[in-house]
Amino acid sequence: MSIMEYNGGSVIAMVGKECVAIASDLRLGNQSLGISSHFQKIFPMSDRIYLGLPGLATDVTTLKEQFRLRLNMYTIKEEREIEPETFAHLVSSTLYERRFGPYFIEPVMAGLQKTPSGAYKPFIAATDLIGCLNFAKDFVVAGTASTKLFGVAEGLWEPDLEPEDLFETCAQTLLNAVDRDAYSGWGAEVYVVTKDKVIKRTLKGRMD
Amino acid sequence: MAILFQVEYALEAVRKGTCAVGVRGKDVVVLGVEKKSVLQLQDPRTVRKVVMLDDHVCLAFAGLTADGRVLIDKARIECQSHRLTVEDPVTIEYITRHIAGIQQKYTQSGGVRPFGISTLIVGFDPHDTRPRLYQTEPSGIYSSWKANAIGRSSKTVREFLEKNHKDDMSRDDAIKLTVKSLLEVVQTGAKNIEISVMESYGKITSLDLSQIEAIVSEIEREKEAEAERKRSRLAATAAGQAAMTQVVSGTGEGSGQ
Amino acid sequence: MDISFALTGKGYVIVAADTTAARSIIKMKVDEDKIKVISPHLLMAYSGEPGDTVQFAEYVERNLRLYQIRNTHPLRPSSAASWIRGALASSLRSRKPYSVNLLVGGYDTSTYTPHLYWIDYLGTMTSVPFAAHGYGSYFALSLLDRYHDPEASLEEGLATLRRCLDEVAKRLVVSPEKYKVRVVDKDGVREIEL
Repeated sequence: MSIMEYNGGSVIAMVGKECVAIASDLRLGNQSLGISSHFQKIFPMSDRIYLGLPGLATDVTTLKEQFRLRLNMYTIKEEREIEPETFAHLVSSTLYERRFGPYFIEPVMAGLQKTPSGAYKPFIAATDLIGCLNFAKDFVVAGTASTKLFGVAEGLWEPDLEPEDLFETCAQTLLNAVDRDAYSGWGAEVYVVTKDKVIKRTLKGRMD
Repeated sequence: MAILFQVEYALEAVRKGTCAVGVRGKDVVVLGVEKKSVLQLQDPRTVRKVVMLDDHVCLAFAGLTADGRVLIDKARIECQSHRLTVEDPVTIEYITRHIAGIQQKYTQSGGVRPFGISTLIVGFDPHDTRPRLYQTEPSGIYSSWKANAIGRSSKTVREFLEKNHKDDMSRDDAIKLTVKSLLEVVQTGAKNIEISVMESYGKITSLDLSQIEAIVSEIEREKEAEAERKRSRLAATAAGQAAMTQVVSGTGEGSGQ
Repeated sequence: MDISFALTGKGYVIVAADTTAARSIIKMKVDEDKIKVISPHLLMAYSGEPGDTVQFAEYVERNLRLYQIRNTHPLRPSSAASWIRGALASSLRSRKPYSVNLLVGGYDTSTYTPHLYWIDYLGTMTSVPFAAHGYGSYFALSLLDRYHDPEASLEEGLATLRRCLDEVAKRLVVSPEKYKVRVVDKDGVREIEL
């Protein structure tokens, strides 16, 4: 039994054309016993940054609260909103602080980064449980269904998808991957972040 | 004789604070405080001088309000901590001793100054019907009283209490004595007086303005009646004396008629 | 092992816990109260390591009471549950963690809604319409999936609870003989004899 698989749950993030998508399942379990089908793992960190926290559920809540605190302190002190890349390093250092007694979470983040010209550039990243950053150009996955997510995403993803197509790609990747995973599933939610709006959709999934 | 100046300063802060009175009756204990009139736009509920420490303990203080808040919080934590460790609520003497202990500590430790407050602590011990009244001071002294006052003009009020306190007062008498003694120093009457009454373990009520007004006007009526009696007695004496002089002068002038 | 259930209904939460205190295979006591009333509208059923359970429950009780005295009003159920979760989560990474699983049920007097939280010893918390801890959960959760109705009256809610208890009595080898049942609603907490 691994701590990382104790509660189950998976997250995926994908890059599109001037947009990003991040999606997770909604299951909370006690090993094989399902407890809740409304357990959110994705949290808004700013208007354009979303953070997914798959892993041990107690640490999901603890880290969500911790990031809210650190982000509020940053916003107050700097008098501006945080940029995704800065936030990724904040996540990394928060996790590495617990290098020898880690939080059992593998965060996934997605956001839009402001460029000097004023446009927005898609940004996704993931880290392992001690904060080793992985900036990807296509997609990142984490959680109990990560291996399956890799496979499906590899087949479905293509560059420069428009928001609606990216939503469909991300949603289908997640839903089909978690159907092959006993510890993930029980519904899903998908966020698509574009430069002027965020689309959130809650999806039904197989309940077995 | 050793004098700790810091403690003297703290006592001075207490003397400048608003007055608080505690009176013990037969099976009741009353706390009365002089309420600074709040500013027009201020919320009066945020200015409190009588606070609960636990279900069965009330505290009033005179002196620096900010210091009071800190001391009260320490006392409240101790009340819950005591329940957690020994499953019993604190006795009034215990929590008084604890508070006085904290106050003493702040006269002897480095880098701190004493609490600029005196407190009156009232309540009932668990499984006991006797009302309790204690006082603590910035130096860490604590003592038990039948009735006492702290803060501005506390000496005047204490002397008044010494003259008028009787053992085993009823609820109404204890309340009346509290109000009466406060009226010695509170010029503005009922609207600047706050009264809390504890009748048994955990049974605390605070009187509303109309109730206090009723007591104040009753006291004024009594005073008026007393003054009237005095006046008429004085008048009678004066009349008697006048009559006597008249009689004397009458005999002297009698020949003139 | 202790068994506890809880379910929400229209304006109420029912919390039930068995009343046996056992040490290995011996029943030491059959009228143990494992549901604590932590404030006028809040209930907490606790189970887990004997010793830890009562210690932790009393620690929670005293802290929530302190909050109420400091702030004149009690914590709302969601905030109280969040505080309790935080206490368990920080305890988890301490030298000696509390092994306590909880069901926290409460009635929010400002929004007039019932709330139920499933919390385990790791500090995992989730808001649920119904919940269970212990061996009972393997029988009751599937049953509640079928019969639970968030709009049910108290009588219907108690009937659903009855189904759970009966199922456990029927199928579990070491089923408890007695349960304590408490309800919290707008009028506060009260005990119910089944």
